[in-house]
Amino acid sequence: MVISKKVEFSASHICRSAQLTDAENERVYGAAANPLGHGHNYVVEVAIEGDPDPVTGMILDLKRLREILEEKVLNVYDHRLLNREVEPFDRVVPTVENIAIDIWNRVEGSIRGRAKLHSVKVHETNELCVEYRGEA
Amino acid sequence: MTVRLSRRYGFFASHRLHSRALSDEENRETYGKCNNPWGHGHNYEVEVTVRGKVDPRTGRAIDLAVLDALAEAEILAPFRYRNLNQELAAFREVVPTTENLGLEVDRRLREAWTKAFADGPSLEKVRIWETERNICEVEAQAGEGQR
Repeated sequence: MVISKKVEFSASHICRSAQLTDAENERVYGAAANPLGHGHNYVVEVAIEGDPDPVTGMILDLKRLREILEEKVLNVYDHRLLNREVEPFDRVVPTVENIAIDIWNRVEGSIRGRAKLHSVKVHETNELCVEYRGEA
Repeated sequence: MTVRLSRRYGFFASHRLHSRALSDEENRETYGKCNNPWGHGHNYEVEVTVRGKVDPRTGRAIDLAVLDALAEAEILAPFRYRNLNQELAAFREVVPTTENLGLEVDRRLREAWTKAFADGPSLEKVRIWETERNICEVEAQAGEGQR
């Protein structure tokens, strides 16, 4: 069984790769390559997987999941310039793909007991969203 | 690392749900208001989900400019502001329900996929919203348009 929790944060980022030329950056990232940055209201859905506890009926206490997400994700990401203030985005382009992978890495170790992390889905806009399920 | 990326597009179009295999009475019963002989329209939304590895150079799982151009050429430009029954060959005989529209969108994307993304991400699924309440999901058929 899979249950998910949704949280939101707002942050700014710059999508430019040092390994690409200016022209390539403009083509790949479009307006998101603006070197001065821009921002989004990100919506994050974190899904956990497991069988409900026979006593509580819960896979994981969702209050606990909320605390984990606040501590590991929101406190780190909310109202930040990702490229400057959040690792690893000083060296990795903060695309929505890499944000989903980074949130997985930050949260996975804290999901214990009968629950395991199933997926991290990040909506950057209504038009663009990425889901990471821990696959290599 | 492999992720699933979803991109959403919109277009406006009109249609009429009417099957030649049914009587007028049966058509009215089956499709209700959607059988109105004058047709009607929707703000359709199409979500394309792809599965691919994140390129370490760009941080992207797919070239979004290429995906957008493909969606524009194969889906949006042909469907936008059209009467689907009368202006699209696929719906001359086939009823343009959300289900059949989903299958047609999937077919068009798969046909053009390999040329656009030779060694790249695979098409995983297509979702189409006719309204907020009426959504159809088509899992991409394995084999065609896949790596």
